[in-house]
Amino acid sequence: MSTGTTAVRVELFGSPQLLTGRRQVEVPGRTLREVAGALAHEFPALAGSVIDPATGWLTGGYIFVVDGRFTRDPSYPVGPGSTVLLVSAQAGGVS
Amino acid sequence: MNAVHGRYLQIDLSSGTATARQLTEAVFARLLGGVGLASYLLYRFCPPGADPLEPENPLIFASSPFIGTGITTASKIAVVAKSPQTGMIGDSLSSSYLALALKRTGYDALVVTGQAPSWTVLAVDDGEIRLLPAGELLGLDPAATAHAIRAELGSGFRVAAIGVAGECGVRYASISNDGRLAGRTGSGAVMGSKRLKAIAVRGTQRLPVVADPRGVVRAARELAERSLGPGTAKYRELGTAANLAFFSRLGVLPTRNFQAGTFEAAEAISGERLFLEHRTDKHGCAACTIGCEHHYRTRDASEAVEVRLEYESLFALGSLCGISDPNAVLRAAALCDRYGMDAISTGSTIAWAMECVERGVRLPGSPDEWPRFGDAGSLVRAVQTIGERRGLGDLLAEGSRRAAEIVGQGSVEWAMHVKGLELPGYDPRKLKAMALGFAVSTRGACHNRSSAYEVDFSDQLDPHAEALAWASAAASSEDRAAVLDSLTVCKFLRHCFSDFFAEAAELFALVTGLPMTAVGLRLAGERINTVKKLFNLDQGWTRADDTLPPRLLSGEAGGLTAAELDRLIQAYYCVRGWDEQGRVPPGRLRELELAELLSQDGRMMYGYAG
Ligand code: SF4
Repeated sequence: MSTGTTAVRVELFGSPQLLTGRRQVEVPGRTLREVAGALAHEFPALAGSVIDPATGWLTGGYIFVVDGRFTRDPSYPVGPGSTVLLVSAQAGGVS
Repeated sequence: MNAVHGRYLQIDLSSGTATARQLTEAVFARLLGGVGLASYLLYRFCPPGADPLEPENPLIFASSPFIGTGITTASKIAVVAKSPQTGMIGDSLSSSYLALALKRTGYDALVVTGQAPSWTVLAVDDGEIRLLPAGELLGLDPAATAHAIRAELGSGFRVAAIGVAGECGVRYASISNDGRLAGRTGSGAVMGSKRLKAIAVRGTQRLPVVADPRGVVRAARELAERSLGPGTAKYRELGTAANLAFFSRLGVLPTRNFQAGTFEAAEAISGERLFLEHRTDKHGCAACTIGCEHHYRTRDASEAVEVRLEYESLFALGSLCGISDPNAVLRAAALCDRYGMDAISTGSTIAWAMECVERGVRLPGSPDEWPRFGDAGSLVRAVQTIGERRGLGDLLAEGSRRAAEIVGQGSVEWAMHVKGLELPGYDPRKLKAMALGFAVSTRGACHNRSSAYEVDFSDQLDPHAEALAWASAAASSEDRAAVLDSLTVCKFLRHCFSDFFAEAAELFALVTGLPMTAVGLRLAGERINTVKKLFNLDQGWTRADDTLPPRLLSGEAGGLTAAELDRLIQAYYCVRGWDEQGRVPPGRLRELELAELLSQDGRMMYGYAG
């Protein structure tokens, strides 16, 4: 982790958890874009299905939840005190 | 128009006769098919005040223009009747080969009325009907019933059957076909009341042609490709069970009968854990490229069972009952399938009983048999007694609303239902759009007919947005759900459209040859929801029915209050163009082009007459 950049704790649910084998990770970043980039860098298994390597941003199937707010805004600011969850963007049933 | 037959078959079980009847193009142009078509037929056939478990309640199966076109996931059949749980519209959907078989009979729908003199199998063979004795099938589960019928009649028949729960009148009994369920609102109890153990359908007719065969093939191929993209990743990879741990983390996982929104043992029954330790296989419905059906096997000392499990069964038989043993949850879910009953209502009614026990409320039967939060053995036993309607199960088979009314002692306070239908796995105290969706939904507490949770689980709205904005978003998602249910396309496909109403309208035009625009399709969704509402109005709906259980309106911990919910409901009525009492003014009916369509039998009241 580079010095001078804040570390953000990210909780992983669903496939991101299974792909990394971790329920919680810490990565550097001041915005969600930086967090996504750091996740892809530290956990290459996320590149592809969760984080698009071409854009460094989430694929359409995923969304962040920051302090209870759902967001796919790459410029959304985060800090050491933020609660960040990475989850599937889909919920619900069919019958 | 193309892609439909323009007729349905009315079958009277009392007389053993069948009559073919016409469906006009206007019905499909305005209500599309599937749930829209079946709701229209229910409105026409079910008289106001009908007892849901008496012969006068019709049981309707409807297909849609999309079935058999190659459009991915379009293999759903709509099953509609007046619900024995709510006394209002009961609509559900089930997937797979039955839908295709029905369409190949040369009819778009079956309307089953009356009551057979003795237990019967109804065989529909290209429009010819036969009533066969079903005595030897009694006591069999739906899969064994289908197996026996196909062994006798031939494998060309597709079978929808009830289990023991439907035979003995569990109010939330379901109808099963091809391993799938028309799960909610008790259509299996309606079928049982008609002494109908099963319907076997064989269709060998040519499917009606679509208007633009090349265009449909191209569009279907594109949609199938998109169905394998990120919009369905969760369903393909982990299935809906993946909701559980995340919902608990958010504080919206119904736990111990909605006494909490976080389950301390969520990890033990999480979708992630189930995937690693219990998952065996993945399947899909007929004509589906997604394949979201994950199967799991118990792994304990008892005899192994394998079962299809979705989030709704997992929460209802898990956190809602305080159960942390995944083997017990899987076993209870397998029993629900075997008896043929809705896992949400089963789990929720048991959770109500568990809270009764916790609070010292006396229940029928021996205290040794009463279910208790966290007691896995008592959960499994309770499911068995409900499925067979014995002991305490006879009371619980009535559902939480009726059971609480019978037991009294203040227990109506913790019967977690809306209009008699138990709540699914979304704690609405922190989900404003879903709270509104539950309260106003025509079939009772339902996430699928509303889909408003999508507004809560997104950045669509600022949490402090005005009531009108929440109401508009909830109405829009409800209309989209109605369109999907009427085109009989799976909801899991919805994220594969970039502009749903525009792209689905184009598909509808390619299939049927009828002109359709995005605005027109959205209007069709609103019209379908209005027909359901009109049915409820005819059956005695009042403003007081649109509400949530008192527990969810305490305002504790920043949750919803009764006053807030009331503001949301009023805003919703305003968006819908209804009056303050939630009734549909005649002018609105004319705007929606429903007045003429529904007035053919001269029965138009909608809460204004009488
Ligand atoms: S996505 Fe799942 S529920 Fe929907 S049609 Fe496919 S297998 Fe069936």
